[in-house]
Amino acid sequence: MLRKLALTGIKSRLKDYIVLFSGLTIASAIFYMFEALATNKNFIEHNTTVGSALIIFQFGSVLLAIITLVYILYANSFLMTMRQKDYATYMMLGAKSRKIGELIVSETIVIGTLATLIGIVVGTALTYGVGMLLVARIDATVHSFQPFYLPAAIITLIFFLILFIFAGLVNRHQLLKKPILSLLHVDDTPTQIKYRPVVWLIEAIIGVALLGVGYWAMASLTKLNILAIPIALVTIVAGSFLVFNALTIWVLAILQKSKLAKKGLNGFTMAQLKFRVHDYTRLLSMVSILFALALGAITVGMGYYNQIPLMTEHSGIAYDTVVHDPNQKELREIRAMDVSQQANYAYKTANKTIYFVKNDFDKKPLLRVKQQHNMSLAAVEYEKITSDQIMSKTDKSGLQTLQELLLANQRNDQVQLVSQSQFDQLAQPAHHLHTVQVKNFRTDLPRIKAVYNSQVAKHPEIKEDFSNKYGFYQVLKATFSGLEFMGFFLGIAFLAMLASCLMFKILSGASSDRIRYRMLDKIGTRQSMLRGAINKEVGILFLLPGVLGVIHVLFGLQLFKVLMVDPYYQIWIPFAIFIVLYAVYYVITTKLYQSIVLKKE
Amino acid sequence: MTAIVDIKNVTKIYGKKGEKQFQALKGINFDVAPGEFVGIMGASGSGKTTLLNILSTLDQPTAGQVTINNQEVTQLKGDQLADFRANEIGFIFQDFNLLENLTARENIGLPLALQNVNAKKIDQLVQTIAQRLSITEILDNYPTEISGGQKQRVAAARALVHEPAILFGDEPTGALDSKSARDLLETMDDLNKNDQVSILLVTHDPFSASYCQRILFIKDGVIGQSLERGQKSRPDFYQEILTTLGTFEQ
Repeated sequence: MLRKLALTGIKSRLKDYIVLFSGLTIASAIFYMFEALATNKNFIEHNTTVGSALIIFQFGSVLLAIITLVYILYANSFLMTMRQKDYATYMMLGAKSRKIGELIVSETIVIGTLATLIGIVVGTALTYGVGMLLVARIDATVHSFQPFYLPAAIITLIFFLILFIFAGLVNRHQLLKKPILSLLHVDDTPTQIKYRPVVWLIEAIIGVALLGVGYWAMASLTKLNILAIPIALVTIVAGSFLVFNALTIWVLAILQKSKLAKKGLNGFTMAQLKFRVHDYTRLLSMVSILFALALGAITVGMGYYNQIPLMTEHSGIAYDTVVHDPNQKELREIRAMDVSQQANYAYKTANKTIYFVKNDFDKKPLLRVKQQHNMSLAAVEYEKITSDQIMSKTDKSGLQTLQELLLANQRNDQVQLVSQSQFDQLAQPAHHLHTVQVKNFRTDLPRIKAVYNSQVAKHPEIKEDFSNKYGFYQVLKATFSGLEFMGFFLGIAFLAMLASCLMFKILSGASSDRIRYRMLDKIGTRQSMLRGAINKEVGILFLLPGVLGVIHVLFGLQLFKVLMVDPYYQIWIPFAIFIVLYAVYYVITTKLYQSIVLKKE
Repeated sequence: MTAIVDIKNVTKIYGKKGEKQFQALKGINFDVAPGEFVGIMGASGSGKTTLLNILSTLDQPTAGQVTINNQEVTQLKGDQLADFRANEIGFIFQDFNLLENLTARENIGLPLALQNVNAKKIDQLVQTIAQRLSITEILDNYPTEISGGQKQRVAAARALVHEPAILFGDEPTGALDSKSARDLLETMDDLNKNDQVSILLVTHDPFSASYCQRILFIKDGVIGQSLERGQKSRPDFYQEILTTLGTFEQ
């Protein structure tokens, strides 16, 4: 009988259950998606030369597991707010608490397991989709990538099963421990926050100071060495917590006393927020930090990708492309480029000797990159190498520069510079060495790639040397694209989980807000105003950790200054991706919230 | 003088066509004159809550007309309805319906804030109505920090602060002890007599009803009988109500 009652209970709240169920499905899908990469050793080993990648992934796994745990607890409290009144009513009518306990545990586990199984299927599709999308986007070759990976599926299922058993037991304990009366009257009274400006001020100052120390530590990695990381971690976690606990509530308390609070529903929204922020402090600080980690992962991943052309520019290679005997097609491509310098050197080969026209090098000297001592963004400088330097008996570096531009099989030949008339007298056919330097490697990349591929078809040995930037670019890409792929994957998985966490925490408070919004409706508040108030309230709850997270990332990138030429290069791209994803979650949350809180028209 | 509330042939049928239907109101007619204090009495299921919901524009009648302050509310839709409630109607509910996360002052000022009255004016009007209802002392308290009687006074202040055309009371004394209930009713009586506030009170409690000038008895969706207080004293009127209830409910 009780079972039947429980089922009808689910039916009558089908919409809320669909929200819960899809949330759990998303969580397990994301977890699976991540595990599909993290547990696939072949994949990780094949796609990066960085030895620590496996550790990074395991660390990511643990983090994700912790977020998932928090997530399940919130989703669970959402379930409980739906069910506890029903259960309390059964108990009031004399149902045995042991029976109710069994019911709660089995309900939680059944819902959880079903959601996880569907989640694994969704996760496989997601892994495939995101994987393919990334491969196409970053033009990478990814090895051993398997959308469905059995060990990952098993781990996901076991992990979630344990979580749901745990959640079920927590539910059972909470429900049976509380007196029936307080269960029947839950969510009637929110906690009141006392006005304590002095305490808040002190807390806020300490919080901001701690954040300052953390940011300083990250920027001073070279001074503090490895110590910077634990210092930053502790101070930023504590700082975020205090900032949320004191600063936001303090600001809200001040705003509540202002004129602004007496305009429309502003006062109501501020009161809601003050209560929420206080209740959410831990969640918001966790979200802000993990938000930073997720955004950081994408930014760094993306950074490596952006780094590749940048590193290519600073590779010490002077020419973007070097063409041997260009054909019409190659010349057409070169003409389409935004060329800053190009030269054409004619040569003839006779008896293991290559003859160039001396005058060509005087008109258009060869270019060589001046040595730089460390990675910097300073414009690359070139030195000009004239015929005298090439022929110098003492300094062979000029000759070497020319030889490096030749094909591998020509490098052991003698090089002679002769006058135009001497050159004309040679009976051998003339060949051409065409060097090109473009204004922007990145923008001309497709044309450079076309010329390179056409050259490789004629001279496969070009692949092995670094006479032109494109060749070097290829090598870098092979090294870093795996890393970028992981960064993206990690970041997106984190973000999705975090935003879902925030979403559920907000939604779990929705049912107690229903009464408040109904009341506002009764006293004549327009529906549009009510929706506006919800948009604002949820918006600020999303915005606060987002903003703090962005600040964390901006400072956190200082850590990567030692590893990258410019970690901030084109930073708006990962930020934009992140904002779009985050905004999607925001819209979903407000729509769900509105559908729970507002009456249907 | 035109009536402040005018109800003509209002019927309400629950359930869709072809399904099992239930007629909650069967052609109700009555009006409330400006400055009148009218009570509607009836047992549970008599249709009084349905009637109040329709009067307060929270629900639409199946047929008939409802006119409040010369505005036919059955013609209004969406935002117009919300605006109408915000401007013309004041509510007092049995369970107070205060927002627990706002102070008494903020609760009372809310209807004005919704109409975009400026902050200074809001403070003034809240202060005035609070003095009128003797709740200036508790204005900065949260609803959880004050008694039931005080809560209902705050609710009354919120209902009256924007000077609505009519005040609706839905069992306003239902959750109060007898002392607080009497205080609230005296206040309502006073507001009615001295400030000419029109009041429509829905109740099943004869004591509350005895403060009204006129009582309409509703049973099975029809107004069956009405009583006028006239020059009678309140205790006499109370007796008369009890007697009428005795015969009416049978």
